[in-house]
Amino acid sequence: MTGKQKKQIFGAIQTALILIAMFIMLVPIIWIFLAAFKSHVDVYQLKLFFTPTLENFSVVFDDPYRLGEKLLNSTIVAFVTILFAIPIATLAAYSFSRFSMRGETLMLVTILATQFVPAVVIILPFFVMFRDIGLLDTRLGLILVNLAIVMPFAIWMIKGFIDGIPMDTEEAAMVDGSSRLQVIRNIVLPMAAPGLLTSAIFCFIIAWNEFLFALILTNKDAVTLPIGLGLFKGEEGDLWNLLSAAGIIIMAPMFVLALMIRKYFVQGMTMGAVR
Amino acid sequence: MRDNTLKYLLVLPAVLVVFVTAIWPLIEAARLSFTVGRLNRPGSLDQYLGWENYLWAFFEEPAFWNSVWVTAIYTLLTVGLTTVFALGLALLLAPGGRLRSSAQALLILPFAMSPALIGVSFRFMFNPEFGLFDAFFGIVFPPLADVSWLADPQLALAVVVMADVWGWIPFLTLVLIGGLASVPRDTVEAAQVDGASGWRVFKDVTLPQLAPVLAVVVILKSIFSLKTFDQVFMLTNGGPGTATQTLSHYIYFNGMKYGQIGYSASVAWLMVIPMIFLTYAYAKFVFRKADQ
Repeated sequence: MTGKQKKQIFGAIQTALILIAMFIMLVPIIWIFLAAFKSHVDVYQLKLFFTPTLENFSVVFDDPYRLGEKLLNSTIVAFVTILFAIPIATLAAYSFSRFSMRGETLMLVTILATQFVPAVVIILPFFVMFRDIGLLDTRLGLILVNLAIVMPFAIWMIKGFIDGIPMDTEEAAMVDGSSRLQVIRNIVLPMAAPGLLTSAIFCFIIAWNEFLFALILTNKDAVTLPIGLGLFKGEEGDLWNLLSAAGIIIMAPMFVLALMIRKYFVQGMTMGAVR
Repeated sequence: MRDNTLKYLLVLPAVLVVFVTAIWPLIEAARLSFTVGRLNRPGSLDQYLGWENYLWAFFEEPAFWNSVWVTAIYTLLTVGLTTVFALGLALLLAPGGRLRSSAQALLILPFAMSPALIGVSFRFMFNPEFGLFDAFFGIVFPPLADVSWLADPQLALAVVVMADVWGWIPFLTLVLIGGLASVPRDTVEAAQVDGASGWRVFKDVTLPQLAPVLAVVVILKSIFSLKTFDQVFMLTNGGPGTATQTLSHYIYFNGMKYGQIGYSASVAWLMVIPMIFLTYAYAKFVFRKADQ
């Protein structure tokens, strides 16, 4: 066998491996997509070819499931969470990026560390407190605890973006008599805008998919989409076609958002440890 | 306003939020861990009994040790398997090109998928009557066809591990592709010119250069594995029996189902301890990067 042939075979094996890997990556997703368009009867048979139906998507929004309410809860909770988190994180990130402070390292490490505290530890005291002050099963309560998981990501991610903005424009504006706050508003914010949007989308996805807090804090009024998945149980077990339709409603919008911020995904998840 | 004051004012709201949403609960959980702490007994949240809860977990509760054991195996398996597969996939996809770039684009999808939903989809696929795996093994390896995966303690754990590995390979792969990109091309080429085999180049040149990124990946994945809750809850709910009950699930069950807030807070704190070491290790890497 010549070296060239060897290379070709090696290349073909690689291509095959890539295709297999992609297939394995996609199978669970495709499986849900197929089941969502199957009728109740077809789900229980392994058909690849069937008459697609949209019925599941209307059933999940009807009584008794009312997925629309959960969709609204998820949207409001995730949206208001980032509405608080991003501005607060931006101010802090600017300060961390541009000034040196006493205790700065300690603050940054603490913020990073809170991300690694198991959610189940955080939620126990909150459950007790919310029970006492009547915040159980409210969107407000859920938004408050969601800040716990979103803030560390937001601060670290936005700090990374602001670190990347050169300081000379800011300095020039200060020499011309702008105040620090004017500089932040007129120069830093516009330049950091794409980064802020990226961070907001990243945090939105995390808040949208959050499960444990919502499981413990909500039971009726403030139930979010991931918890709503638990509704689709019939007498004979799981209603897979409805579960799948709900699954698509949960994941499809996030797929779109995730593809938008693809380039910054790794940086966000590792909080800047890997760029 | 002078910068000297302003810089502290700017971080103040963030520090407050982090304090209220993360530091306070940690302190309060520590306090609760020393109380009787029954949800249905008013006043028991202020009734102190010293280290009793911790002693109870250590000496009177086989279920606690079971969940420690499950979590340890789970973490070892998921960290090991995910890292190995991700490294392989990263090496495969790193060179770029059209097929490889579109494959990389797909890797973002599992991140966008709620872990709870990943649990659901694996439960679906491993259904013994009409699941995909049932059908798959029916053709490929019939003895495995009618296995009730989720009813068997060992197999159920295997499925939970599989779901986790499936969900995390993409993220680790993307990180490692980034790491591979920073391995200098000329060192690799020099080794190849010297006649080193592909394996030697990988072992002696690529791997040492990749070591810091690999360390970050392993630490991060360990942290996430130790915390695992969502998939387990949706996939097996800890079962059959307690065969797949991770620590997070054990804490949830004792706290929320049995109302033993004090006891579950003590177990929760036992879980925080390994986290402190991992976080310390992780922070060192983050700041080493920041200093460059």
